[in-house]
Amino acid sequence: MTSIRQDLKEPFADLLLSVADDKFILGHRNSDWTGLAPMLEEDIAFSSLAQDEIAHAKALYELIGGLLGRSADELAFGRALEGYRCATIVELPDEFDWATAICRQLLCNRFDALRLARLARSTHKPLADLASRLAAEQRIHVEHADSWIVRLGAGTEDSRRRMQRALDALAPEAPMLFEPVDGQERLESAGLYPLAATDMFQEWSESIAAVTGKAGLRLTIQPPAAQTNGGRHGRHSKHLAELLDEMCEVYRLEPNAAW
Amino acid sequence: MSGSSNVGMHIDHVADEDPQKLAEFEARIDAGELIEPDDWMPAAYRKGMLKMAEHHANSEIIGALPEGEWITRAPSLRRKLALTAKVQDEIGHGQMLYRISQDLGKTRDQMLRDLITGRTKYHNVFNYPAPTWGDIAMIQWLIDGAAIMNQKTLADGAFGPYVRTMRRINMEEAFHFKSGEDMVLTLMTGTQRQREMCQEAFDRWWYPSIMFFGPPDKPNSEQLPPMRWRMKTELNDSLRQRFVNRFAPAALDLGLKIHIVTKDPDGIVTSKTPDKNLRLNEQTGNWQFTAPDWDEFYRVIRGHGPCNRKRLALRRLSYEQGRWVRKAVLKGSTALPPAA
Repeated sequence: MTSIRQDLKEPFADLLLSVADDKFILGHRNSDWTGLAPMLEEDIAFSSLAQDEIAHAKALYELIGGLLGRSADELAFGRALEGYRCATIVELPDEFDWATAICRQLLCNRFDALRLARLARSTHKPLADLASRLAAEQRIHVEHADSWIVRLGAGTEDSRRRMQRALDALAPEAPMLFEPVDGQERLESAGLYPLAATDMFQEWSESIAAVTGKAGLRLTIQPPAAQTNGGRHGRHSKHLAELLDEMCEVYRLEPNAAW
Repeated sequence: MSGSSNVGMHIDHVADEDPQKLAEFEARIDAGELIEPDDWMPAAYRKGMLKMAEHHANSEIIGALPEGEWITRAPSLRRKLALTAKVQDEIGHGQMLYRISQDLGKTRDQMLRDLITGRTKYHNVFNYPAPTWGDIAMIQWLIDGAAIMNQKTLADGAFGPYVRTMRRINMEEAFHFKSGEDMVLTLMTGTQRQREMCQEAFDRWWYPSIMFFGPPDKPNSEQLPPMRWRMKTELNDSLRQRFVNRFAPAALDLGLKIHIVTKDPDGIVTSKTPDKNLRLNEQTGNWQFTAPDWDEFYRVIRGHGPCNRKRLALRRLSYEQGRWVRKAVLKGSTALPPAA
């Protein structure tokens, strides 16, 4: 199937935007480490992961752009704040703290991997094909984050303390990754986002706990509230507003020009 | 992105070397052989190559900073990806060049500490500001273009590991240059505002790129060790002329104007006049141009350029912020380079 029922178009676009925006904003944050990471070898690795996320977002924006009749760049740079569908956790600045950057990777990458695995079974063939390609790369992101969590959690007393602090600060933000877009249950019943609600939170929180347990870190994580009105509905932190002002600074000079 | 032409090398201590070994070494150099790290070499050669590779490595990781600042502001998905990958390449070049330096006997941590405390230098050109997106286009076009010209001659040198690294770096730099050329072309065929942005950036970068190749050569440069031992293979002034011959007509073709400028202490142009000396000399085939202000060059190299403090401060912040991570994974042995 490649066409979308009229009444599902808006939720479907919202869903794809939520996936793309999570990736784009996280990739944007992480790309800022290029040239400044704790070791040169890691600098190169982390930059590749950031490029992956931005490239994934680009592929998704192209897919959505086809449905909405807008270009990928317009979607990436040309929307107002409330048009973005990302979760708050990707919006937060990491304050140039490696522990924050890595803990965020753990929480977001494992969520993204589960989401992509489900989307790879979507009845929408172009999405299913794209998601299975992205899922393969996402696995590398998961392994990368896991290995850092374990090494730093079990590193020195100082590194364990820093990782714990970062995890404690981020863990309450993470469940909002699960906030559904409007109409998500209809997408699920139509097979566009299969198994969207089924056990996904539990699967995610158990897999995170397995890694933090290995690293000797404490983890307290609550399921998301039943009623939420956050990033998936266009309500964002002030950090995203600041991020967009910087990110779109040049684009907005001449939004219709080629750059 | 960088080259090492302006690294100061004062090598004159061969008196203590075994004359026969020195003669054999120089015969190998003359025969065009490559010198490998385990081969016999004069102490001054080892020291000079270390200084050169370390300076080059420093320049790569400092050179990543002005462009790195623009990753978060790149105006399209394609440019954002390309710029991130480009800056990543420069870090990769730094990593390869630090490995060469490590093999010549200095630990990476010592090199990074010497860089942030100002005991060693990096290429002067990175002390200039990049205040607009146009500067990013110019850095990739002019500075990477200059770096390729310089590094191609360094790839004809004699120290095996450095030569092989230059060959690889040059392949990657060719992509950076193409990307820069594409950015300049896009801006110059864009809106009035984009063309002005491009011209203003060109005004800021034209003279720093002419100075890129280092100060005018001494009269006996070809007899001094750096060239006699093929650590470098071409005179600064001849590289500079080749650069102007290539880029002055290219800039004019794109509709850019070539100016002599005055700048304020922040590196921002305060006045400009056309370079009246700029013309093709039909007899020599060379483009004539007004010589740079070498006083400015030496002022910047001594630490008084627009961005010297800013660049080192960011590098120092990165070093300090990452220290706990290196301690945790290297188990306290931060003086040692990480395993390969």
